[in-house]
This record gives sequence, C-alpha cells and structure tokens, in this order.
Amino acid sequence: MLRKLPPYLMVAPLMLFIALFTYIPILTSLDLSFRAWDFLSPDRPWVGFENYQRLFASHSFWQALWVTTLFVVISVPLRLGLALAIASFLLRETMASRILRGALFLPYVTSTVSIAVVFSWVFSTDFGLVNGVLGALGLPRPSWLQDPMLALWVIIIVNTWKQLGYDIIIYIAGLQAIPVELYDAAAVDGGRKAHVFRRITVPLVMPTTYFLLVISVIEAFQIFTIVDVMTHGGPAGATNMLVVELYKIGFSLFDIGQGSALAVILFVLLVVLAFVKSYVIGRKVHYES
Amino acid sequence: MNRDRILTTLALLGGVIFLSPVLYSIWISFQTANAYYTHGLEFTFNNYTKAIGDFGFARYLLNSLIVSGVVTVGGLFIATIAAFAFARFTFRGNNLLFGAVVTTLMIPSHISLIPNYLSLAKVGLLDSYAGLILPAMANGFAAFFLRQYIRGIPRALDEAAYMDGASHMQVFWRVIVPVARPAVLSMGLFIFISEWNNYIWPLIATGKRDMYTLQVGLARLYQTNPGEGFLDWPLIMAASTITLLPVLIGFLLVERHFVRGITMGAVK
Repeated sequence: MLRKLPPYLMVAPLMLFIALFTYIPILTSLDLSFRAWDFLSPDRPWVGFENYQRLFASHSFWQALWVTTLFVVISVPLRLGLALAIASFLLRETMASRILRGALFLPYVTSTVSIAVVFSWVFSTDFGLVNGVLGALGLPRPSWLQDPMLALWVIIIVNTWKQLGYDIIIYIAGLQAIPVELYDAAAVDGGRKAHVFRRITVPLVMPTTYFLLVISVIEAFQIFTIVDVMTHGGPAGATNMLVVELYKIGFSLFDIGQGSALAVILFVLLVVLAFVKSYVIGRKVHYES
Repeated sequence: MNRDRILTTLALLGGVIFLSPVLYSIWISFQTANAYYTHGLEFTFNNYTKAIGDFGFARYLLNSLIVSGVVTVGGLFIATIAAFAFARFTFRGNNLLFGAVVTTLMIPSHISLIPNYLSLAKVGLLDSYAGLILPAMANGFAAFFLRQYIRGIPRALDEAAYMDGASHMQVFWRVIVPVARPAVLSMGLFIFISEWNNYIWPLIATGKRDMYTLQVGLARLYQTNPGEGFLDWPLIMAASTITLLPVLIGFLLVERHFVRGITMGAVK
C-alpha cells in the first residue's frame, strides 16, 4: 500500500494548485457570469443571461472586440513577415549574426511595463525621441498617443518591437531544419535569391509559420500591459482591448457579473483558438524530437 | 577577414539602433530634470536615490525579489517532482492527471482573475506575499516540458540507483535532478523572468504601496506624474532602469539556457 503512495504525493502539490487557481476559477467565473453582484452586497441573485445581454448591448464591448481584432490582424502578419525576413539574414553562425540576434531578443525578456514607459516617452508629444527627430527634419510632430488614428499604431509598433526577437529565434530554429541540399540544388539551377526565398524557404518553413501564427494570435488577443500603461484604452476607446475592458468592468466598476461574462467569452474564444492550435500543430508540424 | 569585421561593426550598429530607446532612457536617467528640459548636460545619481528612497523602489525591489524567488524555487520544485512521477511511475489516473496539466496550457489565465481575487479577498490574503505567490505556483508548462525531458533519460540510471537501495526521493535528487539540470535551469530562468515581469496579477492583488512589485510601482509612478505638470522623465527613467536591469543582467549571464528552453518548448 505504501509503495503505491509516492507518485500521488509527488503530483499532489501541482494538482492542488492547478485545481485551486485554474479549474475551480473557471467554474466560479461561469457561475458568477449568471449572477448580479457588485462585490459588496451580501447576496448574489441569479439573473440568467442578463449579464451577457448587457455586454452585447454595450458599445464598449463591441469596440473592444473590434479594436482587438484589428490589432491581431495587423500586428501578427507584421511580426511574422519581419521576423522571417530578418531570421533568414541571421541564419549563419557568425559573430555579426550572434550580436544582432542578442540585441533583437533582449526586449522579449525585458519588463513590459518598463518598455511601455520608455515608449511613452519615445512617442510623447513635446519631449519625445520620435518627435525630436521629426522636428529636426522639419516634419510635423503629431500627438501620437492622444490621436485615435495613431494610438493603435503606436501600440502595434511597441508590441512588435518587444515580441520580434522571440519570433526570430523560433524562425531560425525552423530555417535550420531545412536541408541544405535543397539550396545547393537551387544554386546549381541558378535560382535568384528572391526566387529561392519564395519557392523554397517560405513553403518549407510553413510549419514554423503555422506554429507562430497561432501562438501569436492567442497572445495578441490577451494584450493588456502595454495598453494599460500607455493609453488606458484611450483615446476615445481607440486602443480599448478585450482584457483592458475586462479589467475596467471587473476591477474599476466592480461589476463582477458582467466582468465574469466577459471573462467567459474570452475564455471560449481562446480555447477555440487553442484547439485550432493543437489541430494545426498536430497536422502540419513534423519535427523530430 | 575584413568583411567579417565590417559585418560585425554593422551588426553592433544595428543592435544599438534597435535598442536605442532603452539605451537612451538609461542615459536620461543620469541627467538632472533641469538639464533634460533645457537640453543641457548635467549628470547626477539623484534620480536613483530619489526613486529608491522617496518613491519606495527599494521596497518594491525587495517585494519583486521575494515573490519571483519563491515562485521560481517553489514552482520549479513542484513541477519537477510531478514531472518525475508522470515520467517514471505507472499509477491509476496518470494519463488523466497529466491531461489536466497539459490542458492548463490552453486555458487563458484571465478567466481566473476575478475568482482568484474574490477567494483571496475572502481569506484575507490580498496585499500579502502569499496572495502574490500562491496563484503563480503551479506551472503546467514547466511540468509538461520537464516530463518530456525526464522521459528521455535512460531508465538504467534509475534502476542502478534502486539496486543500490536508493529511495524514490534519493533517485529524484541524486539521479534525475542532476541529469535534467539543463532543462531544470532553463525552466527556472523562464519562470523567474515571467514572474518578475508579471503585471496584471500584482496590479489586482495589491492596493497598499508597501506590497507593490516593481512593475506595479513603476506603472503607478509613471501614471501619478510626480513632476507637477511636466513628467519628471529622468526620475521615471531611473525607476524604469531599476525595474529592467536585474533581469537583463541575469539573462545575459545565462542566455544560452534560456534560448534553448524556448526553442525546445516551441519546436517539438
């Protein structure tokens, strides 16, 4: 009997924490999403789908969904395109390539809050780096973070700057898995560089692209820190992402019911994406382990 | 030969340009506010003493170190020992429990924000180290990754130790952990960096300034605008440097482990 115990004891702490802080919260969120509660009153009356209805009737929910989608649709292809182009330049193990890889990767491990603060300065209207350069060139100096047309672009640029290094590292690993003979054959046939890139590199690195595509879509849907620090979702909701909206409803307005409803919607959205991910990766990615 | 040197110089230049926002912000952190706004040059360490003393960054630094340290050591132990059990023992429910661990990789953490806030508020753990640490203790990814790694370790090693009369715990500490060291280190670094940079949970779980982590402290400092009208950018940049530098230095020391960790995790 005692001999049977050790494996259970060994997995017990992990399972306990997972149950307490992941699985039970999912059920709690689901339950709370059907109740009206402001965190203070003693009872939490059951209201059915009212929280969801209120959410679907609110302008800011649809705005958040739209802005988040826009962010995902613009930022993900931008990141992957840049990363693939840069990775194919940094493929060889030279000193220069190692230095650049290191520099490009650093932002990925750096504090997102620090980066958001630094870039708030970079894009600040009066004393910022960007407007300093634009001013010196005699160009107009826009109010980047106060202009609804520009603020989302700033968020996209900052996020790309931070995440690019990760994509590049993964792409380099993927590119190195392509057999050299294919490139040699193309060289013998006299293929031009752009042609080789389009006909050999891009198709053969597709599994890595699928992997990065799904991962970064999932991650982009959850963007919060950069937006919270730089714009709070403003101006006029131009950068109001789903998690920012969730934070506002749940922790500024303390509308626990509606906040939970939004959390459940986000959960369903991302779990669907996660299934797409395991399907895509199971089907399309064949790396030896 | 010469071409290599030119390429290396160009790469250095490219790297500096790419990192220039951060490098320039560190530069600003050593200037006086006065010099910064009048485009003069006047250097000082005052911004650092002000951030650390007057604005509480010594306390935030301590909080970040405690929280990230405990989460890393505790989370790593919990994940590694579970990974050992999943990799080496056949027991009823092994696959089911492991499936539950892997599933957490698909579950967005934002679903638990409100419930975790409510339950920690109920037991009075908001604004405490326990409240910051406990929800981060389970790391499904580390457990999954380490199980795969441990499965690759030849069983003959365990069996030899068992023959010598070793207990399960002895096999774990004396055989598995040393052999899996590269993977364990990579994961430890990964956990430390993500916890150090964690923002949304400390933001929610702390209300008192004394319990802020560096990330929350920096965001609040920036948002509450200590410069009366103008932002005191040099002060803010000093605070930002304090927040990003420890992880950056640690990362540079063990970069290779970290990069191997993420590529192993992704390309598999």
